[in-house]
Amino acid sequence: MRNVAIVGIGHTGFGNLSSMDLVDVLGFASCSALEDAGILDQRRDLVEQVFVANMGAGRVNSASAVASALVSRIGLEPAMAETIENGPASGASAVKLGMMAIKSGMVDCVLVTGGELMRAVSGWEGTDFVATMLHTEAEYAYGLTLPSFAAMFTRLYMQRYGLTERELAMVAVKDHENGSKNPYAHVKVPCTLEAIHDGENANVVNNIVADPLRLYGMCPVSDGAASLLLCATDSPKMKFFKKQPIRISGVGSATDTQCVHLRKDPLVLDAVRLAAERAYAMAGLGPKDISFAELHDAFVILELAISEEVGFFERGKSREAVVKGETRIDGRLPINTSGGLKAKGHPLGATGVSQIFELVKQLRGEAEEGRRVANPKHGLAVNFGGFGNNVVATICSREDV
Amino acid sequence: MNFNFSKYGPKKHEVFAYKCPGCGKLYYPAVMVCDQCHTRRDPSNYFFKDWEKIPLEGDCTLLTWTRVYALPEGYMKKYQDFGIVEFANGLRASGQLDVATPEIGMKLKSSVGVVKERVGKDNYGFIFVSP
Repeated sequence: MRNVAIVGIGHTGFGNLSSMDLVDVLGFASCSALEDAGILDQRRDLVEQVFVANMGAGRVNSASAVASALVSRIGLEPAMAETIENGPASGASAVKLGMMAIKSGMVDCVLVTGGELMRAVSGWEGTDFVATMLHTEAEYAYGLTLPSFAAMFTRLYMQRYGLTERELAMVAVKDHENGSKNPYAHVKVPCTLEAIHDGENANVVNNIVADPLRLYGMCPVSDGAASLLLCATDSPKMKFFKKQPIRISGVGSATDTQCVHLRKDPLVLDAVRLAAERAYAMAGLGPKDISFAELHDAFVILELAISEEVGFFERGKSREAVVKGETRIDGRLPINTSGGLKAKGHPLGATGVSQIFELVKQLRGEAEEGRRVANPKHGLAVNFGGFGNNVVATICSREDV
Repeated sequence: MNFNFSKYGPKKHEVFAYKCPGCGKLYYPAVMVCDQCHTRRDPSNYFFKDWEKIPLEGDCTLLTWTRVYALPEGYMKKYQDFGIVEFANGLRASGQLDVATPEIGMKLKSSVGVVKERVGKDNYGFIFVSP
């Protein structure tokens, strides 16, 4: 079967871009990816297919069919174009579908762009919109939201494994440290344990949002876009690309019950485990081969839980790795080197693409000083949809390993 | 002359589990096909009868809970408690919580009330309370 490489990457800054047009935001990231690949002027000849990952443009931005709009905005007609919606996992799903399109032999070169403008609406409306991915009758109708489920998950995890609020805060401090060095991050300001947990004003700075989760236990609401250019490694088009190709060595995805209460053990994230197992199997790798990871920490508890499900740590033990500094940038297994969703931000449709953008940056050795992983070979990204009911895992590898 | 005004009384709101007619397995919320015997459900009653609806109510145990201060659009209150419970028959449900000091493992009972006020069309659902 054909191999697929990422040959160009692009990213907007994440933050508040609500004064911009969504298609312009998608267009900026897309043009950056085409420029990075060195084919901005030949794009019409080389790009055959475009996938756009987006969750809420129809509702939040009154814009539909955004893939068609993007193609027109950046002059890529007559490329084929489709919009992919898979909740917060839309981004990695679009990359997966791009890879499948190439592996099928139908096309050689695919542009995948994910983006979202969530701050076009109020926080209340945004929270409500995101909650529409929950079960309409048994969850959403009650006012339950994603932070509600993350908080209930956290409480149960704390009770079962003895996780403390201080340890959760340490995850946030680590992520913000990385995010402060990432030029694309929404929050570029580092925070200290003193400020968000140990100090006398910590309760004010880091107030409870969904007990026991505090403000620094969750990601900001962000706008932004990220883009990747994919190409078959056996394609004659490869000669046009200027940058070191990074191989997509494994992709896996899996689903779980939509209602969280239907899971036998609410702390077990089966879809994460299965998605990772499928990605490892495709890549011929295991958790011990992974040099660094981008894990979907929309809530910091998820960084811990996902790191256990993908096999990095035993269940309940990831907190010990955090305390020992093993997941810091200079640790044994750096996690969320970009700052993660926690600091970099979480524009839903962009997130999965942005995670893979970070894998490519690290594997090329292009990450900024102070957040660069030493000699990475394989990176894992986990993009988590719903409250774990649709998860996509992607492994990227250097071509020379 | 006797008049029966009962139909003008307050409507009783309930939350239902759905019973598979093939094997008797209970579901909440409803599914379209039984994962045990693969019997299909037709909520339109067009091709065949919908599954029997069994009121889901009674004693339950609190599995986990939260107090949320950042509520979505449409909730005009400072905070709301939510929980996941397990009923005596093993079914589980998520819903709102109305107890003074929630604790994992505490015994509760289900009630059904307004969980979201909407003009002319309130949402009714589970509110778990002290027994």
